[in-house]
Amino acid sequence: MKMTTRVAYDNMKYYKSRNILIGIATVLTTMLLLIIPTVGKGMADLQFAAVRKMYPSWHALYRNVDEETVCQLAAHHDISVYGLRSDAGYMNLADADVSMMFMDAKGLALYKMELAEGNLPERKDEIVVSEGILKELGQRGDIGDTVSVPYQIYRGGALDLTETKEFKICGFFEDSPSNLEKRIYTSLVSEAFIKEEVPKEEIVYRFLFQISDTDKSTTDNIETAIENIAVQFDISENETNINTEYLAANYVDPVTIPAIIIIMAIIMLAGVITIYSIYYVSMNQRVQEFGRLKAIGATKRQIKQIVLREGLCVAVLAIPAGLALGTLSSKAVMSLFIYLFKEESELMKTIGEITRNGEVSLCYWWAYLLAITVTLCTVYISLLRPMHKAAKISEVEAMHAQGSGKKTQSRRKGYEYITVGRLTFRNLMDNKKKSAITVISMAATGVFLMVVATVLSCANPRESADSSIVGQYEISPIIKENDKEHPELSWLQVQKDNPLDENLKRQIEKLKGVEKVEAFTAIRVTGEMFMEGDVNAINGVPEEYAKELEKGIEKGKVTYEELKSGDKVILDSALKHWYPDLDVGSKLELTVHDGDREYEKEFEIAAVGNYDSGLTNYSWLIMAKEAADRLSENNSNLYFHIIADKDYDQKLFESLEEIVKSSGRIEMRTWKREYDQWKSAMATTRGATYAFLGILALISVMNLINTMLNSVHVRKKELGMMQAIGMSDSQLMKMLQLEGLFYTAGTLVISVGLGSIAGYPLFLYAKNQGIFSITTYHYPAAAAIIVTAALILLQGLLAVGIGKSVKKDSLIERVRFSE
Amino acid sequence: MSTDSSKILVTKNLVKYYGTGENQVRAVDHTDLEIERGKFTAIVGRSGSGKSTLLHLIGGLDRPDEGKVLIEGKDIFALKDDRLAAFRRKKIGFIFQDFNLIPSLNVWENIVLPLGLDNRRVRREDVEEVLEKIGIADKKDTMPNALSGGQKQRTAIARALVTSPAMILADEPTGNLDSQTELEVMSLLKSCVKDMGQTLVMITHDEMIAQMSDRMIEIEDGKAVNC
Repeated sequence: MKMTTRVAYDNMKYYKSRNILIGIATVLTTMLLLIIPTVGKGMADLQFAAVRKMYPSWHALYRNVDEETVCQLAAHHDISVYGLRSDAGYMNLADADVSMMFMDAKGLALYKMELAEGNLPERKDEIVVSEGILKELGQRGDIGDTVSVPYQIYRGGALDLTETKEFKICGFFEDSPSNLEKRIYTSLVSEAFIKEEVPKEEIVYRFLFQISDTDKSTTDNIETAIENIAVQFDISENETNINTEYLAANYVDPVTIPAIIIIMAIIMLAGVITIYSIYYVSMNQRVQEFGRLKAIGATKRQIKQIVLREGLCVAVLAIPAGLALGTLSSKAVMSLFIYLFKEESELMKTIGEITRNGEVSLCYWWAYLLAITVTLCTVYISLLRPMHKAAKISEVEAMHAQGSGKKTQSRRKGYEYITVGRLTFRNLMDNKKKSAITVISMAATGVFLMVVATVLSCANPRESADSSIVGQYEISPIIKENDKEHPELSWLQVQKDNPLDENLKRQIEKLKGVEKVEAFTAIRVTGEMFMEGDVNAINGVPEEYAKELEKGIEKGKVTYEELKSGDKVILDSALKHWYPDLDVGSKLELTVHDGDREYEKEFEIAAVGNYDSGLTNYSWLIMAKEAADRLSENNSNLYFHIIADKDYDQKLFESLEEIVKSSGRIEMRTWKREYDQWKSAMATTRGATYAFLGILALISVMNLINTMLNSVHVRKKELGMMQAIGMSDSQLMKMLQLEGLFYTAGTLVISVGLGSIAGYPLFLYAKNQGIFSITTYHYPAAAAIIVTAALILLQGLLAVGIGKSVKKDSLIERVRFSE
Repeated sequence: MSTDSSKILVTKNLVKYYGTGENQVRAVDHTDLEIERGKFTAIVGRSGSGKSTLLHLIGGLDRPDEGKVLIEGKDIFALKDDRLAAFRRKKIGFIFQDFNLIPSLNVWENIVLPLGLDNRRVRREDVEEVLEKIGIADKKDTMPNALSGGQKQRTAIARALVTSPAMILADEPTGNLDSQTELEVMSLLKSCVKDMGQTLVMITHDEMIAQMSDRMIEIEDGKAVNC
């Protein structure tokens, strides 16, 4: 063995207790470095596995594709697998929705559907049904039996009159609980049936496909390929549906890698601070030792090698332990996460199932390799300065050093009277740098935690749903711009024959549970001050929202009465974000587009305000409704906001659905759906974020443990001395508790104080950016209380634990203790 | 054995062994001692003779395997740890070979520390009188790292004296000092005994220093062989 390695190895054994501490820090760092990528990748894999289970496997589909294009698309070299679906029509049943469609075998597989028994229909009188469908039809049958089906076929863009035909059952689907509950089913008919019923030129397909050679592709690459094919075949964006959830679940999202790197860097930083701080303390004590080595002829390089190898020896022993602990903890963290959120959403339920069945391997060899490499780097970086410091020690200076090695002042005014509290204060002041490093590194995590907690506490699914929709239901005309096949669906055409008319309003108002219907107007405008092609709209807000409008004003002043003039608008700050030059007093020379007519008009920005997306619906120039209506000769109602007596009422929802369906020209958004979506999204985000923050807090806590352990460890003799001259055990405990309290209080003051302050701008940012549809600031009181309680509890336990470990040695051993 | 008031310290059949079997070391082996109030007693012996262990037992820093230590007639090992600590700070002043000052406190703070731990008020004039007597009155704001060895030991002596203890226990207090300083410190300690009526029990292996004592106790293999 080389001399330096031998000395390093002996040193490691000699300074056993100190190296155990370093070992613990290394174990924890390794553990965390393994947990983060393992849990991150594990949760993502679980989520993706659930998505793969729940979502269809096509990468994208093109709608309304004719037979000829299908043949051409099928031959495209970028498409590896494709399937077809064509909607034939609906069974005409009173209470159930049974769609009739043709789907080929590949299409069925891409939709992750399978027959419980039988075959796909081939002849024109063959059909695949389910027991549920037969029940709705009021008939019975098995494979080979005949059923009579009343149906409406899509012809000429609409459902045709009801016909009845005998079909022979060729296969069965199994009904899902959701089918039976919602009474929505799918039946399959043959292509031959559609070809017989629908004129050839009217037959269109949904072309479902997967892109080829995607093994190493990113989601961005696949999406580009899908868009390129669409362009080649003149398929519009509206006719393209990309299965983003499935893509995200199967291919690398380029955003995730930097995110993982940042998280690993944060852990590495925490590790470096912890390990460095241990070396920082021990190095001061070992000045003499290195001086002696130099005196007997060790070179600077050899001293550096000794320090480095000692550290690496510890790391080599600690890393496997860290990996073992990390493996167990990762599994525990994921199980806990899944357990906590199992009821939150369907996705989480599926994730739970997948975990129980062990369908996804949650061990990654690369995570182990990464953890080992990063830990070794962490140890190396932590050792750089101690190595340098040890090598710099001069022989003579070292021989004279009295062990502490600290440069302290030679005189200082003192307290006239010393209490345990003052004694603690003096010690902390004497170790300012170490105390500061501990407090600042812990507080950094605390601030980060509070800031993130602020955003999470503001992200309330109810508020987010409230802000993204006014009322409980929102009805709007179906609008499709730039769709050559459906020019009648452009807004300017819809204005001329708007389904959102007084009749519809009255019809809705009559429904049970509806309190009122508020109509919002939109007037399309363009202008030179806006970027080319940027179409904006003047949002006519009814008088009922006058107070809300005035409340949202951030700059300038305008009353609802003044907004009735038709010349003044409020600018939503979202638009100001894009056009920062626009401000209160700016004049807008705009072209108003109204049906077939266009005219110029000047508007003045009377105020700048900040409003929920539910109120503005992304029409960011706001005016009184009656004034906006005057700008148009047509019916410019863009939204009916329905205020109901309950957040959700199944009967009302069904009645509205009926109206929507029978109109065919309107669509509906519901508060309930928004709420469910936010709730599910937030549950996952919250769980993942808190798990990460918890782990990060753990690193920080290790720093506290390390600092307090060190503080006692290096002062073992000093504490023994104090006890020899009469400090009682309870006074010793009090002193240790006070020291811990200093770290706790310092950390808390900075974390909670600075974190609360720093959280507010982030809340404003999130609000402005529309993140989680945050609207209202909520102080993260729960997080503050939990952080405070956890720190106090931990510090108390730590003081007791350390006190006990100090007392384990007899007083005389402590007095004699000196390394 | 009498426990009259002239005997400030009495040990009875004191035993302290370390290790077991063949490795057993009889550090203090059935030792009976009596120390008189107001006298300077030196405990001498070769290195490893058990004199330090004896001092630690006398001072209540370590608990014996057998036997008793009576200080002013009180069995100190009948006290629980916290009470023993309180007893120590009230009745015993310690002086160590390597001074053992608290590095984060200045001279004054080091000296008044035992008073603070005992929740006693600091009478400024009393402390200043001690500083004056010890000869470090001008060093009270100085930090330990800026003191010479002699000054450090004077500070330690002042710390031991400030609580007006019943007895001062000194463990080779001049072991780390040069001969000039050694003499100064010794004469200071002697004057404490003479002028202040303090009881001083000192461990030393230095025959010359032992000669300065009122009484010499020799320890050999854990036993007092010459009381």
